[in-house]
Amino acid sequence: MKKNFLGNIRLYLASAWYSYRALYAWQSFGPYISVKIAFPLAQMLLFIFMGRLAGMADPLYIVIGNILLLPSTNGVMGVSMTINGERDFRTLPYLIASPAPRAPLFLGRSLVHIIDGLLSTLMALILGVVFFHVDLTRSNLPLTVLCILLLSVTSCGMGLILGSLSLRTREAWTITSMVVMLFYILSGVNFPVAVLPQSLQLISYSLPLTRGIQAARLAMNGANWSTINSLFMGELLTGLIYIGIGYLMFMWFEKLSLVDGQIETV
Amino acid sequence: MSRSSGKARHNPLPFIGKQISIQIQMRALSVFSFGLLIFQPAVFSTVGYMLARMAGKPAPDLIYVIIGGGIMGMWSSMVFTSFFDINNDRRHGTLELIVGSPTSLTTVLAVRTFANILTGMVSMLLSFVVVIFLFKFTIPLRNHPYIIVSLLVLFFGFWSIGVFLAHFRVASRVTGQFINYLELPVAILAAFMFPFEYLPRWITWLSNSIPLRWGVTGLNASFQQKLVLSNLWQDWATSIGVSFIYLFVTYFLSKKVHDMIRVTGELSSV
Repeated sequence: MKKNFLGNIRLYLASAWYSYRALYAWQSFGPYISVKIAFPLAQMLLFIFMGRLAGMADPLYIVIGNILLLPSTNGVMGVSMTINGERDFRTLPYLIASPAPRAPLFLGRSLVHIIDGLLSTLMALILGVVFFHVDLTRSNLPLTVLCILLLSVTSCGMGLILGSLSLRTREAWTITSMVVMLFYILSGVNFPVAVLPQSLQLISYSLPLTRGIQAARLAMNGANWSTINSLFMGELLTGLIYIGIGYLMFMWFEKLSLVDGQIETV
Repeated sequence: MSRSSGKARHNPLPFIGKQISIQIQMRALSVFSFGLLIFQPAVFSTVGYMLARMAGKPAPDLIYVIIGGGIMGMWSSMVFTSFFDINNDRRHGTLELIVGSPTSLTTVLAVRTFANILTGMVSMLLSFVVVIFLFKFTIPLRNHPYIIVSLLVLFFGFWSIGVFLAHFRVASRVTGQFINYLELPVAILAAFMFPFEYLPRWITWLSNSIPLRWGVTGLNASFQQKLVLSNLWQDWATSIGVSFIYLFVTYFLSKKVHDMIRVTGELSSV
């Protein structure tokens, strides 16, 4: 059992290393960082201007929301892209045919995306402080960091669900992009969830991220553990449920694809 | 035997027709197109709607939030579909055939971009449908011709910038990736979804060098009850003028790109 466990850890780290070498190692520092600055800044600015048009005087709600969305989008897209990328490069059937355990194989590949997401968040936080006067002096920094880490992990469940669609359809990446866009509306990034109609609020609270973003906002305002623990634990539980569903979906679709031989046909 | 003229006569119309037809067929049943043309603009417009709701307004600013969403859809569609077209050509090995064929690269890119913007118009038309039928927005009859002209001017602006950017995608796959990141910055600089006046003064010189900024301002102006025709004419003329500058630069750029990829043989390697 110990050997098995160490084997899984080795596979997890090896997958992460190969993923890093394939997707990031060839990039040069300058262009990589400029993209890290340009994208979050542009996203924040667009919504800030839209908020101003609507009559919002203070853009901080939007700025912080968009910063907190970054680790989540990287978590969702990273895991989904990991599985979808294998399909794109025609290597998915080889992986499916291999006896390697699926969890360390694919979660290891997504590790670099999660680290990349955390780096994006750090860059966005710096931008927020410099350009939009985000005040971190009052914040509960360790708890904020913990919430950001939690968001990057809980979002992986949604990524796993969407990524496992790659076993059945070639449109999984498009569907992933659409779901990530829905977070702009449903997860309280640009406006509080309470603004949404009742039915959408229900959907919002059944998704990962919503509680995590609320907890992170409170921690950034200086809240302590007792204030955010129900949101934090709720986010953790929702994330674990999604990870479980994602894993089961992957196994089910894998089995289905092996039976009908349709891994890459549709 | 008759003497043949130096250059074979070439009728471009069948090529143009076929290329447009292929592009539209490729988009028609694609989930990707649905995402770009309908879903994404709808999400942006919904965010605008919810922001207005939070601020206590009964309805959002329809021109910026809904029509602006349509323009956003057109732009995103052009940026991404043009990118994926070239990307797919690289992947399937057809880019070499296109570059090597007697039809110039610029012609192929120009027709493809035209078709991609044409499909992008779906997004714009849907935004009109939403504004008119869902929000009961009435556009005075007098404004109709101005709106149509504004749309044509905007279309031309999209086309000129699209052809310009497409050459970078052919030149290098790395540059092509970067163009993807232009989606939001250009949407901000051209003020698709908010008034242009919101932009800080120091950045307006950059905005002014984008034809879409003038096209969008013209389109927004043509919806107003009180039309200021002199401003409208100025927006149209500037948009067309800036578009021609892009086309002029593209003319020289195309030769450079064509020579570069043939001489260095780096078409698929970089």
